[in-house]
Amino acid sequence: MTRAAQPVTNDPIVEQAADWIVRLTADDPGERILAQAGYDAWKQADPRHAEAALRIEHVVQRMHAVRSDGVTQPARSALHAAFCGKARRTGVRRTATALVLAGVFALPVWLTVQAYPPAYLLADIRTATGEWNSRMLADGTQITLSTRSAVNLSFDEKSRTIELVSGEILVDVAPDSARPFIVETAHARIRALGTRFAVSRETGFTVLTMLESKVAIKAAQQADINVADGRVIIAGQRVRISADSIGPVEGIDVRSVQESWNFHQLVVADRPLPDVLDELSRHRPGRIQYRREKLADIKVSAVLPLNDTDKALQLLAASFPGLRIRTMTPYLVMVDVPASW
Amino acid sequence: MSFVPSSDAVAQLYENHYSWLFGWLRKKLRCSHNAADVAHDTFVRIIVSRDALIGMREPRAFLTTTAQRLLVDRTRRRIIEEAYLAELTLIADTLPGFPSPEETLATLQALEQIGSALECVSVKAREAFLLHYLEDEPHAAIAARLGVSTRMVHKYLVQCLLHCDRMRLE
Repeated sequence: MTRAAQPVTNDPIVEQAADWIVRLTADDPGERILAQAGYDAWKQADPRHAEAALRIEHVVQRMHAVRSDGVTQPARSALHAAFCGKARRTGVRRTATALVLAGVFALPVWLTVQAYPPAYLLADIRTATGEWNSRMLADGTQITLSTRSAVNLSFDEKSRTIELVSGEILVDVAPDSARPFIVETAHARIRALGTRFAVSRETGFTVLTMLESKVAIKAAQQADINVADGRVIIAGQRVRISADSIGPVEGIDVRSVQESWNFHQLVVADRPLPDVLDELSRHRPGRIQYRREKLADIKVSAVLPLNDTDKALQLLAASFPGLRIRTMTPYLVMVDVPASW
Repeated sequence: MSFVPSSDAVAQLYENHYSWLFGWLRKKLRCSHNAADVAHDTFVRIIVSRDALIGMREPRAFLTTTAQRLLVDRTRRRIIEEAYLAELTLIADTLPGFPSPEETLATLQALEQIGSALECVSVKAREAFLLHYLEDEPHAAIAARLGVSTRMVHKYLVQCLLHCDRMRLE
């Protein structure tokens, strides 16, 4: 979450020091010589100047010191990872379009109609909205269900199959060489060759996130999986699988994914706000209403609590002053960017 | 606990709200070890930053905000550490010598401070700063890359230096 910028109360002397120090590395050699002379004179003029100069020089030295033997790559990667295009507002369009209020009034009706599907209600293990459930299965496999998730288990002497009916699961597979471990969705068949991975069932596709070891996958319309064939996805990779194809592999940060499961947090780096709202929405009853195209330009990097989505929304509101988040009822939250912004 | 509250205000805050904060964190983190760690660090941070008095009006909101920030900082620290070490391992062969654990730790601390200091500056300012002080790119090259004037690059660099300086003092 972006920390609110403190009111800038810079000491003018420190500002001057920083200004001189930047001039010292100007591109033009003549300018640099002049700057050096000016800087030296300025420092001598007042002991406070010299003190401020030391402070800023120290910052520059520190910056140089993070290169290991002059190699900048690790430091650069680390800082880029830290920022990952930190939360920023990039050109939020100011088109003055009022929200379609009809949608708001129709919503409660729509919400009532949107009952849980029967497959969910009949599943072997399921979680309600905002609920998490971790348990150990008969074979020692650890399974965690995120919010609004449901699975069916069919374990026999030949195989262990988990059908993901809806939502998202994290499995830590117990080794059993005799019985392969398979996760099935409408879109994919995922066969564990190792231990830990998460599977999320979305509309129209399934997302597999590998945390440890590897799995072999096949899209539903491909033939049965053997260990020998099927595409192999390894730890640190994420892939989107639809019924007829497997999407490109995307890199993920294993630790932050693991963390989000452990601490029930949503860890995002530079994700469009609508994606973040979708995710929060899965963890709260009712609905978060917004217009995707209006918010798509807002990128979020944050760690948000999934078990307290009100708090998560408050944190978002605090980080994006232009964003308006209104709780119409406990079941309907509206998010928009007021036109004046 | 390994610290002594430095003022009555903190002592009072601690006495009245520590167990509540611990409970809040334990619920949030689902792990009492982590919760105890973060609760402890929260008070340490309050003592160090000396803004306990500001927090007295809304002590619980203040405590949770501080704890929340700590959690964010912890995540950032981990991200920095992981990215740094991964990259360092990758290029280890090309380095004359692998940095000692002390050097690595010092670098990580510096990176974390820089990361935290530059969090609230603009993306371009940050990029200019890294290009110049890390990569030694000249002002004009940075200006061209970011699509801004060299005057602007100058301003960005001054701004970032000041942010880093302030962070160091905090």
